[in-house]
Amino acid sequence: MFRAGARSIPSPTPDGGVSLACRSLSSGYGKQTVLHEVSFTIDEPSVYVVLGPNGAGKTTLFRTIAGILRPTAGEVMIDGVPIRQQGSRDHLHYLSHMDGMPDGLTVRECLDFYARVERATPADVERVLDQLEIREFTKSFISKLSAGQRKRVSIARVFLRERAIYLMDEPTANLDPKVAREIRTLILNLSRERIVLYSSHNLFEAREIGRYVITLRGGALTLFDRMENVRAAHFVIGVRTLTPTPALEGWERSGDYYLRELSGPEEVPGLIHDLEARGVRLREVREMENPLEDLFT
Amino acid sequence: MVVGRISLLLGGAMIVLYSAAFGIGGPLFINIGSVILPVFAVSGGLGGALVFTNDRTKGVLEYLVAYGVSPRQILANALLAGIVQVSIVLGAGVGAGLTTYLLSGYPLTPALFEVLLAYTFPMSYLTVTLMTTVGVYWTTLSSPRAGLNSPLGVLPLIGVAPTTGLLLLALTLGSYSGRALLIGELALFVVLVSLLARTDRFMPPERMLSPA
Repeated sequence: MFRAGARSIPSPTPDGGVSLACRSLSSGYGKQTVLHEVSFTIDEPSVYVVLGPNGAGKTTLFRTIAGILRPTAGEVMIDGVPIRQQGSRDHLHYLSHMDGMPDGLTVRECLDFYARVERATPADVERVLDQLEIREFTKSFISKLSAGQRKRVSIARVFLRERAIYLMDEPTANLDPKVAREIRTLILNLSRERIVLYSSHNLFEAREIGRYVITLRGGALTLFDRMENVRAAHFVIGVRTLTPTPALEGWERSGDYYLRELSGPEEVPGLIHDLEARGVRLREVREMENPLEDLFT
Repeated sequence: MVVGRISLLLGGAMIVLYSAAFGIGGPLFINIGSVILPVFAVSGGLGGALVFTNDRTKGVLEYLVAYGVSPRQILANALLAGIVQVSIVLGAGVGAGLTTYLLSGYPLTPALFEVLLAYTFPMSYLTVTLMTTVGVYWTTLSSPRAGLNSPLGVLPLIGVAPTTGLLLLALTLGSYSGRALLIGELALFVVLVSLLARTDRFMPPERMLSPA
């Protein structure tokens, strides 16, 4: 079993500490089993990025934790209580990869409807209208909104009431970079006190937002670790300079970058020091390969 | 939502014109008009199944189930939507028919009330409830398709079929027609109850997921 927080990152969890545990969880659709004996425990507020190729079981995992799919074996526990035994859904917010908004309603009608479902107040609706900057669309029909605007409204829904655990299935898919960044910022703020499980196909986004990585393959859990522990097989850095320099002749090039493979990140400070000593005016040094890519190969 | 409103408007308009025309005919309204009214009422009561299908496709139902709303409650809401719609359509239709009936100088008779209360209203509610239940169950078993090959395309036929079948039976039986209609209604009620009793089997939570 994998366990987040096992490396002792003491951090208070909301309401005295909510934990989410999957114990030998198997689940699927009808007779087709998609998840196979997935086990992990999360008891630290943070963003847990769930990665895996298409069909790996990410959405199935979220749907099972959310209680939409019934486990064929194993159990989902929140605070040590199986979700079947009631109460647990009050701890959870679930944002599907679908918008989940009826086209025939205006933005305000839609949020009012979900506020009733969530037992939120009109003041909560007013708050999220400002928080997600969607007040100007309140009278617009959902069907008339752009993809980004729809996603904002959809996400506004999960901010109507605070909960301890957030399941977010590809919340930034099909969004322009600006909106995606704003939403990531919101989620990062949220994760200071809440557990956020976040699935994405965007590996750069995953690396930026996640503190932990959970990977699934063929419905089985293959990795649960801190992001900084995920290393690429080859550690390649790219160097950009302010002016052309003969000191880097012979280095492999990729666009503006001069490339060098190192044995690990601990060699980077020495390399920078060496280049500066040779008169190279550095503009940027960055890791060229995303180690998360290796998780898909 | 929009398709539900269109269904309501079309059904309402059709039934008002139909009833008003038969109301002018006096006894024709009692003997034929009131008996065929449920067929028209069905066209206005499609809203429940339409909204259910639309909400499922958009992922609304997935969200609701995640928040603890049971498929049984979702079906109940779809039925309620259908019943409210058919009440509006039926109210408008019977109102229009009775208005032209009375304005044409015909008296209110026990036979008129009997056909409305024993047949027109219960048959309309039964067929719309049956149609919505079958439509919802069928939708949960399938992916969205267009036209007559889809649950929604076939739904009006499912709604119209029991009424039409009963009327043909009644016509065949002649003097036993009234009794045949009542027995038919009872049979429909039994079918409906047995279908509703199997909601958990036909509508497990995973069938509320969007097929998209």
